[in-house]
Amino acid sequence: MTSVSRAWGRLTLPGKIIFTLVPLLLAMTVGLLVAVVLVGPYVLQFLGDNLPLVRFVVAATAVLLMSIPTAFIIIYMEMKVIALMNLRIGPDRVGPYGSLLSVVHGLKVLMKEDFTPTGADAPVFTLAPAVVYLGAVMSLLVIPFAPGLFGQDFNIGLLYFFAVSGLSVVGLMMAGWSSYNKYSLLGGLRSAAQVISYEIPLTLSVVGLLLLAGTMSLNTIVLNQSGTALDWYIFRQPLGFLIFFIAATAEANRTPFDLTEADSEIVAGFATEYSGMRFGFLFFAEYVGVFVVSAMTVTLFFGGWNAPFNWPWPVTASLDPGSLGILLLILVAIVPVLGTLLFAAPFWLLRSSMPGWQALIIGFLIFNFVAVGAVLGWAFISFDWVVGLLWFMLKTYGFVFTFVWMRGTLPRVRIDQLMGFAWKWLLPASLLNLFVTAGALIVLNR
Amino acid sequence: MTAQPGSGTRRASSDDPRVMLDIDAGAYEPVPPYPPRTEREAEFYTLADGEMFVNMGPQHPSTHGVLRVVLKLRGEQVVDLDPVLGYLHRGVEKLAENADYHHTIAYMDPLEYISSLFCEWPAVMAFEKLLDVEVPRRAEYIRVLSTELNRVASHALFMGWFALDLGGLTPVLWSFIERDEIVEMLGALTGARMLFNYMRIGGVNGDLNHEFMSRLGAWMSRAGTHIDSNTKLLNENEIFVRRSRGLGVVDRETAVRMCMTGPNLRATGVPFDVRRAHPYSVFPELDFDIPTRTEGDSLARYLLRVDEIKQSLRIIDQCLHQMPDGPIMAKLPRRLTPRPGRAYAAVESPRGQYAVYAMSDGTDQPFRLRIHDPSFVHLQSVGLLMPGNLVADTMAIMASLDPVMGGVDK
Amino acid sequence: MSFIPGIGIAKGMALTLLRFFQPKVTIRYPEVAADVSPKFRGRLQLLYDEWGTLKCETCFQCAQACPIECIDMGGTDTKGRYHVHWGAAETYGERRDESALRRSGRPVPDEAYSHDQPMNLEAVDAILAAYDHDPGSMLQILGDVQDTYGYLPVAALKRISTSTGAWYAMIYGTASYYRHLRFDPPGQSVGICRCTSCLISGGGRIQEALERGLRASLGKTPLSGGIRLEQLPNHVAGASSPLVMVAGEPVALTPETAEPWARGLAPQSGTRAQA
Repeated sequence: MTSVSRAWGRLTLPGKIIFTLVPLLLAMTVGLLVAVVLVGPYVLQFLGDNLPLVRFVVAATAVLLMSIPTAFIIIYMEMKVIALMNLRIGPDRVGPYGSLLSVVHGLKVLMKEDFTPTGADAPVFTLAPAVVYLGAVMSLLVIPFAPGLFGQDFNIGLLYFFAVSGLSVVGLMMAGWSSYNKYSLLGGLRSAAQVISYEIPLTLSVVGLLLLAGTMSLNTIVLNQSGTALDWYIFRQPLGFLIFFIAATAEANRTPFDLTEADSEIVAGFATEYSGMRFGFLFFAEYVGVFVVSAMTVTLFFGGWNAPFNWPWPVTASLDPGSLGILLLILVAIVPVLGTLLFAAPFWLLRSSMPGWQALIIGFLIFNFVAVGAVLGWAFISFDWVVGLLWFMLKTYGFVFTFVWMRGTLPRVRIDQLMGFAWKWLLPASLLNLFVTAGALIVLNR
Repeated sequence: MTAQPGSGTRRASSDDPRVMLDIDAGAYEPVPPYPPRTEREAEFYTLADGEMFVNMGPQHPSTHGVLRVVLKLRGEQVVDLDPVLGYLHRGVEKLAENADYHHTIAYMDPLEYISSLFCEWPAVMAFEKLLDVEVPRRAEYIRVLSTELNRVASHALFMGWFALDLGGLTPVLWSFIERDEIVEMLGALTGARMLFNYMRIGGVNGDLNHEFMSRLGAWMSRAGTHIDSNTKLLNENEIFVRRSRGLGVVDRETAVRMCMTGPNLRATGVPFDVRRAHPYSVFPELDFDIPTRTEGDSLARYLLRVDEIKQSLRIIDQCLHQMPDGPIMAKLPRRLTPRPGRAYAAVESPRGQYAVYAMSDGTDQPFRLRIHDPSFVHLQSVGLLMPGNLVADTMAIMASLDPVMGGVDK
Repeated sequence: MSFIPGIGIAKGMALTLLRFFQPKVTIRYPEVAADVSPKFRGRLQLLYDEWGTLKCETCFQCAQACPIECIDMGGTDTKGRYHVHWGAAETYGERRDESALRRSGRPVPDEAYSHDQPMNLEAVDAILAAYDHDPGSMLQILGDVQDTYGYLPVAALKRISTSTGAWYAMIYGTASYYRHLRFDPPGQSVGICRCTSCLISGGGRIQEALERGLRASLGKTPLSGGIRLEQLPNHVAGASSPLVMVAGEPVALTPETAEPWARGLAPQSGTRAQA
């Protein structure tokens, strides 16, 4: 026994870890194999029988997982873009061009004290950020990111979107009411008034579009817009787009309609008393909301994942690697060597001071870049969802940029102007849009 | 929720942590812990049905400095308000009585800390009147030059602040680029960027130097276009114009009755400017206009300051062309003992008439020094302007009056 | 305000987009320092005159006059004695750049406080208690502290200042006025006599040799530390000329042996400091 303990004591720390882990992993592998053999068929059968459920669970997980990086990207974008518009440099220390600063912010809010003020309604106060975040994230489920890449294709997808995005206002009101702070109260009530008022033009502005599309399924709406950019609904519903965009800005609490957290008036609105990760959730929910609103604008009016023009034939020609047969193996074996030599040759020939091995390393690196580029390009050509996702993200982040750009430019409107604008201008305009669309459809007889 | 004065029991100071949890609704109300002292206080601290207090400041993000305003709200509408001053009180007037005349100048700097040269100038001018000193012409021109630069810096900052209080993020940073350039320039001239301590009794501390002049020349060549381009962001912006037009309107009679001066008065149409009405220094020799507007609202106050920047640039240009040679300090003994008497001097600061009234008893220290600060006067009018407006506009009105709490609290 | 609604907003948006691509004005501070004018007096630091000597005489009058004790000094006083550091690191002009670099995560050598070794100050407390913490008997306190430690450590002066309530500037002034009080451990200096008889018998040449050997000039503290060369106040009665003294003991030297002797002194300086 003493010899065993002495041998254990002589091991270094990595040695101890490996010595513990390897048998454990082996045992787990064996156990897993046994489990797969014994239970696997039944599980597979169960999953096969309940495919919609599996799809939903996977989609919900994926949406939750993508929401946080999305928020990070938009937060970084906001910091950097507004800084550049202010003639500042903005974040430039953490990561390349400061791009990891928002991640550091995320870690920071995780480490801060989670604080509930005295007098606050603790359960509601705790629940509110979750509700707000849920409202933002659940909208992502119905958005078609690319052909075949969507959480769930409801036939009432648009209705679901409006219903779920209305959920966040409940969370904001909960946060405002439970904080035991008058600024929070004002912010919560402002958000209630604002979001409820703008729900109506927001919903009415797309009714004209629904008449054109004849469906509420977002996937079908996107498919209806396939073709070139001229087939997008923006050219058939320009007024509807304008109303939708303005109302969506208000819905996402973005400048110039960010009255709920107007820092020069009511400190931070509903988020005044929040700290730590609860504040983080409120904060992230705002940026996920920006993404959702941009994505929805793109989906409804800018053709979703459709490319704005038809590619010329060399790009659309798809190549099935399986058809190459034995040639593929030769390709994989020979091309790296040839490519490395090819890219190394100019360095070796032109720079006499460079030793051969250095040229080979450089050639290999360049070949890797080219190869990765080639594979991506091949995927771009061959897979619909890659190119679709690319176009979708490009358009969506274009709108995110517009939101950030507006934040960098515009002052904030006042609450009475905000409400007046919704009821006096947007609502009549959206009704006008609806009637004109309906009239045009009747006149043109569909 | 009705909070009677005195009923808002403050949390008893106790070591027992259970006391912390035992709070009633009044504990966080901004109600003084003593019974009302005046009728006005009793009226203000009595809430009608549907009203509530909101305590804005002294650490609100947009009260300029440490102003505290207790707002009585009905929904979003301001019913009544009570500004509470004194969070930045340092007793400058009393300090000046215990310092000799030279030290007093340094105490004047932190009053209007946005435009410090304008606080030094009336004090120095009053002491010069007491001592019967004639200031060299070059020193006077340098004073005019540096103070007009400081006026541009102050107004540039105002434009940014006003936009920030209306929710715009960008203008304040663009303004700070201009202000920073001016402040660096004045730093090269005076040796400090904010609290200059530059004026001396009988002249100024240092002559124009090469670095100042080169920076000034570089800045002047692009100042006009830069400021025009910066103002383009807001001047035509519909949201900005609709928020500030008709906001916080003061008419001529009220403005005169409230003793308003400076841009806030000129925005109502009264062309009163100390530089022209009671000329001092070399302003009679300089050619400049006094811009006025008739609306008297926040937008007029904003646009008037933009116009004033252009006039200041004109004055700077003339100063540079007419700058005479000669000494920058009058010959004076080290120890200043003016004859017993009184003197009053006023200048036109970016906020209005900044004045100092000094009394001498024949020693080397002022017997009494009274400072008239325009920000304090203007802050009185918030009681007229704010009731009836929304919470969002309280800070916008406050910003459009452009008070500096350092001067208000003295 | 034009007649077409939204045109002002569009103009503003165009302007911000234009600024988006324009060159930026930010100065990246720790890497790039701002262009501060020579007349700028916002920094508390020691200035040099046009001949390259320090303008500050380390008289502590400014520190004494400052009502909130924010003034601080770092450097060597005019008698070349020692570095004075008093106060928080952040208030030093000379250390501000270091601090900024350190905050941005770069390694910075910390040399300024190396002389401030933590030391046992119980003896000082005892002496202060014996004199009832009375600043009136400062000279006796200082004398006793020097008798205990052999010299006046800066830490002891600080303790005396905080304990008696006398200004550090006052204590420093007192201590630097009296010749029998010293701020350095006595063994760290080599004394040389410059009386007439010593000079006649070759003291000057020995001094030059010692200066070469110690790499120090008479009366100045070498900034790199090391052994100082000091002038003795007077010739010790009964000692032979030329007179060189180390730690109260005369050393017999000739101009030829002085330089190697001084070189050999240097490695022992660490142990000698404790003597």
